[in-house]
Amino acid sequence: MVKRIALYLTLAAGALVSVFPYLLVVLTALKTPRQLNRTEPWEPGLPPTLENLDKVLHSGFAGYLGNTLLMTAALTAGQLVFTTFAAYAFARLRFRGRDVLFWLYVATMMVPSAVTMIPLFLIMRELHLVNTWWGLLAPYLLGTPYGIFLMRQFFRALPAGLEDAARIDGAGPLTILLRIVLPLSRPALGTLAIITVITSWNNFMWPLIITSGDDTKVVTVGIAGLKGSIGVDPNQMTAAALIALVPMVAVFIAFQRYIVRSVVLTGLK
Amino acid sequence: MTSSADHLAGQAGPTSAVEAGAAGRPSRLRRLRRSNWYAYLFVAPSLFGVFAFLLLPLLIVLGLSLFHWELLSSPSFAGLANYRRLAGDGETWHSVWVTVLFVLLSIPAQTVLGLLLALLLNQRVKGVAFYRALFVVPWMATPIVMGLVWTWIFDPRDGALNKLLGVAGVSGPDWLTDPSWALPSVAMVNVWQYSGYTMLFFLAGLQGIPQELYDAAATDGASPVQRFFQITLPLLNPTTFFVTVTNLLGAFQIFDTVYAMTDGGPSGSTEVLNFRIFETAFRQFDFGYASTLAALLFLLILAVTLAQVRFFAKRTTYDLS
Repeated sequence: MVKRIALYLTLAAGALVSVFPYLLVVLTALKTPRQLNRTEPWEPGLPPTLENLDKVLHSGFAGYLGNTLLMTAALTAGQLVFTTFAAYAFARLRFRGRDVLFWLYVATMMVPSAVTMIPLFLIMRELHLVNTWWGLLAPYLLGTPYGIFLMRQFFRALPAGLEDAARIDGAGPLTILLRIVLPLSRPALGTLAIITVITSWNNFMWPLIITSGDDTKVVTVGIAGLKGSIGVDPNQMTAAALIALVPMVAVFIAFQRYIVRSVVLTGLK
Repeated sequence: MTSSADHLAGQAGPTSAVEAGAAGRPSRLRRLRRSNWYAYLFVAPSLFGVFAFLLLPLLIVLGLSLFHWELLSSPSFAGLANYRRLAGDGETWHSVWVTVLFVLLSIPAQTVLGLLLALLLNQRVKGVAFYRALFVVPWMATPIVMGLVWTWIFDPRDGALNKLLGVAGVSGPDWLTDPSWALPSVAMVNVWQYSGYTMLFFLAGLQGIPQELYDAAATDGASPVQRFFQITLPLLNPTTFFVTVTNLLGAFQIFDTVYAMTDGGPSGSTEVLNFRIFETAFRQFDFGYASTLAALLFLLILAVTLAQVRFFAKRTTYDLS
């Protein structure tokens, strides 16, 4: 019994540490500067105020948020479409060089993005795409090796019987993929979508390097800018943080099971 | 040629029975050529992406590491001059050391914590899904944002951490401005962010271990500690391999958190290699030398990954196919 209690206490402590920074963000974003001075960081400020959020949204963050949304939507759509086609080909179609190409993909998963930043920037500069939407999106728009690896694993595990039956009925590969395989792949596509949404939303280094104007500035770069201009004003910083974090938390709560499933998809169960 | 035969040719593997039924009409070679056509179209966009945005940049970075090139000048071939400069560049070797130290501060802690949380959750706990969700929440936090939030938490005077320590009667250090505390603080944030995600993989691994093994071991009189080291750990090897490889890849490239929390300081104590590359390229605009540093990071990561593959290959049967 004592052991059980200790177990639950440990779990509760772990859970508290996990959410503590989130808690501070919510509490502080809803405090006035006066309340901030008078309360401990973990105490709520009563009555809560929306003044910080309002201020931050009007200082450009509404636009940055729109840009982040657009970038996330575009990259996720691109990832889903191009990854699906490529992964299906690697899983089910036969073509010369398939295995070599696939191992090349697996190998490129090891190439750190930090290493490719400099040449990518130089390529974009050569193409006059610095500070443009195309420059921002291009490197990630065509899908990632990781996504292809994930989807290929999933496609290979699907029973081939249905596809064979469709083929005998005269369906082409495109029809088979769209009508037979994709409807069966919702769990995997959901997982891939969630992972892509989160990584795109959180992406910082590439947008920092490739964009400078407000037209393409995303939330992460906007928040990093807060640090320089106003020191660290906890009210504004947490208000901006709240804007950046809430959508991801919502996505997480809604699609949690897909994230858990990503573990299964990597073939590690 | 009917369309159905056409597609049969495009099918690999387990459908050989169906395939055999359609064989005989077009020649094998022609069928192969036909099948290529579709598949290449499917693969083409992503293949272009991999070549243009991963392999080409990798080649460029290796090439550029042989050039002098600062933004305003034009590139000039320098042979191995950048590498000679690297050999005598104490600050860079210091940042390699900082990177290794950061990895050592975060990876073991986050692996052990992840495993520990998984072991706790694997004991028929009520509300597993609830705890599991809360533990994973830090993983999807935007690193640059949480870096700023933690910077405030670590604030020596107004931060929540030192205020909490104050309640307990301890006076906390100047976390981010004290050179001996700054790197451990950044590592702590990394451990906070990724332990829960690591737990997710371990939990799946634990649930894949058949209960009969434990029952048999218990019958033979093995103690819980023996069962852990003789059954659990060895059978978790594939998971441990995956988790450490991916976590290490991430830790070697840590950037956002450093950018948000310390900007490489104080006095270079958190200047990890990736941050130094960024500074050399995009603050000093020395693209040639920055490429040399990027090549160094690439080789470092490659060496560590290969070492891990060798280490675990002896101990697991990890199936990638």
